[in-house]
Amino acid sequence: MRSLRHALIGLGLAGFIAGLITLPLALASDFLGDDKAAHAVFGPLITWSFVGTGLYAWWRRPGNNFGPLMTAIGFVWALSALEASEVEGLFILGVLIGPLAYALFLHMLVAFPTGRLQTPYERLLVGIGYFDTTVIQVLALLFHQTSGEEDYCTGVCPANPLMISDQPGFSDAIFGIQSVLGVFGLTAIAVLLVRRWRAAPVAQRRALAPVLLVGAATVVLLGLSLLGDVSGFPDDEAENVIDLAGLALLASVPFAFLTGLMRSRLSRAAAVSDLVSRLGEADRREALRDALAEGLGDPSLSLVYWVPAQGRYVDAAGHPVELPADGANSVCTYVEHEGRPVAVICHDASLADEPELVQAVAGAAGLALENERLNVELRARVEELRASRARIVQAADDERRRLERDLHDGAQQRLVALALNLRLAAAKLETDPEAAAALLSETATELGEATTELRELARGLHPAVLSDRGLRPALEALAGRAPLPVELDASQPERLPEAVESASYFVVAEALTNVARYAHASRAEVSVSRENGEVEVSIRDDGVGGADPEAGSGLRGLADRVAALDGRLEVVSPPGGGTTVRAVIPCA
Amino acid sequence: MRVVVAEDSVLLREGVVRLLEEAGMEVVGQAGDADELMRKVRAHKPDVAVVDVRMPPTNTDDGLRAAQRIRAELPEVGVLVLSQYVEESYALELLDGGAEGVGYLLKDRVAEVDGFIDAVRRVNEGGSALDPEVVAQLLGRRRSTDPLDQLTPREREVLEQMAEGRTNQAIAARLVVSERAVEKHVTSIFSKLDLETSPDDHRRVLAVLAYLRA
Repeated sequence: MRSLRHALIGLGLAGFIAGLITLPLALASDFLGDDKAAHAVFGPLITWSFVGTGLYAWWRRPGNNFGPLMTAIGFVWALSALEASEVEGLFILGVLIGPLAYALFLHMLVAFPTGRLQTPYERLLVGIGYFDTTVIQVLALLFHQTSGEEDYCTGVCPANPLMISDQPGFSDAIFGIQSVLGVFGLTAIAVLLVRRWRAAPVAQRRALAPVLLVGAATVVLLGLSLLGDVSGFPDDEAENVIDLAGLALLASVPFAFLTGLMRSRLSRAAAVSDLVSRLGEADRREALRDALAEGLGDPSLSLVYWVPAQGRYVDAAGHPVELPADGANSVCTYVEHEGRPVAVICHDASLADEPELVQAVAGAAGLALENERLNVELRARVEELRASRARIVQAADDERRRLERDLHDGAQQRLVALALNLRLAAAKLETDPEAAAALLSETATELGEATTELRELARGLHPAVLSDRGLRPALEALAGRAPLPVELDASQPERLPEAVESASYFVVAEALTNVARYAHASRAEVSVSRENGEVEVSIRDDGVGGADPEAGSGLRGLADRVAALDGRLEVVSPPGGGTTVRAVIPCA
Repeated sequence: MRVVVAEDSVLLREGVVRLLEEAGMEVVGQAGDADELMRKVRAHKPDVAVVDVRMPPTNTDDGLRAAQRIRAELPEVGVLVLSQYVEESYALELLDGGAEGVGYLLKDRVAEVDGFIDAVRRVNEGGSALDPEVVAQLLGRRRSTDPLDQLTPREREVLEQMAEGRTNQAIAARLVVSERAVEKHVTSIFSKLDLETSPDDHRRVLAVLAYLRA
């Protein structure tokens, strides 16, 4: 910042001196005639006004091209004053560079207020301006003798050292093309500026108006002046008036800009107070976004909220969203309230040039944002609950289907077969008692298998020991049945709430099932502890790891089950590093 | 032998009663819930009470709790608990107060009539009867380093029989070997598992169970 400041001070001094030099240049010249006064006045005036305001803008908005552009206009203007010099080289430099100031000026107007050209059309217009004032200007001067009859020389202008061949017809034609192109370009730009002003949000209009309107007027006058060059004015007096008025307007553009800047501050204050008053009536979900969008004059603005519990951003409806990356068109401003992240305002990149405005509006909206964030957090939670409820219902349905299948394929078929066997045995009792006895014995064995099957099915639904004796004995049984060594570390001083016991039990059951199926582990550890009003259940194995908690419905269902108790389920499973499933459930 | 039967399913209760009576036992009382069981046992002081774990009033483990109360109040009454599920913890709780005159069987076992009657008799004689499935579960528990792996298949069989509560004599009969051979196996098992040998069958069961449970 310091070096920029020094550079700007240096440029300021240089600009001051350059402007100062234009004055004696104009006064000493003996071929300016009537234009002498205009040159003497507008040389320093335009140089100083553009360099001065340009440097101010540069200092205030270092990231914006606007300042450098204005400064450049001032310097080019000063250089163009060399056309008053008697020295051929300096004279032709002034003539050559003069129109460039207008191209820069148009660039600045089109780029206002962001400092950037945003559409291909804008770039085309500005490109034409530069082409018209550089390439065409050089081309014309290569074939144009300046020492002849000239508009701007009352006496005899110095000769043109750039000329390679004096072709008055050709160079006049090129100057004509330059003027026509200029008229078209200026007209297009005038239309563009008026349109832009009309399209601006009301809050911005006041800030934009001075520059855009004065700019447009200047453009129109420049256009008229060029038109006069092409077609010839009926009246020299009128042409002079138009030229002078154009110069006067040009000189006033920087002041219009300063006014705009002042107004933008005023409008910022207005935007903020407007916003604050509107927030009171914000009862719609999008009201806050709309208020911010209007306050900042950016209809594309979007607002996302930070939900610490879920560790992610959500939109106003509570749906998780990704933060858009800062890009060419959109930039994000982070809003904090009392040191905590609250929300992110993603807005048009042009607003990044006015960080104070965004911060002021965000600051004014801080409390409202925090309130809205809480609302959104609630919505996000409801959204999550809705999704998990749907999954739980789905899981229950799936479970019923599975049970129905198990019962139908298992016990029911067996019992039908057994009934058949018994009938057969009864029929054979008289005729073939031995066969009947064998059949009965077979039936009894089958029956035993059916009861075993039913028992296992019932146990899978809900282990009796869990409700009868609590978590530890149930986990002991689970560990005992596991097909790998399971070390259980669980003290159970008292019974836990039924739902907590169930959730903990099924977390362990599912985790151990997964260990047995996928982990290729040699052992597992199960631990249950209760601390600080939370029950923590963890299952660790030394297997291959790489488990994906999102992949299986089993873990997802458990996560829902745990979440239904306000708890959380974590799965840590680095490839090759074993798997740890950890559930933490509040339990006062 | 005088028996009280407690089981809330009437069908099953009557089946059990019929089995016991056919085996020559006298069923002196029947109960459908835990409170009734306690009243009948206190009134009749039977030799054995056959008790279902899950019974009214709460339909959880009322029967098991009643069985424990009987063992505490009336130690001379043998208790045989029938359970719908094999739960080590139930079995081990029951055995907490000693292995004399106590049994824990899967309910399905009543269908294996001889085994069931044998278990009732063992409990009546002050012995113990532990369901083979409980023993299988205890033995099947995977350990990181398992001393049970050192046992020969025959020793393993003997260990299972011991854990179920059988005497050397009963084991010998079941495995069709001499009692002397069983004794040798038992000594070998105890030394391999680093356990104190005990001549007392009841204490022996507890030692084996405590070992398996650890």
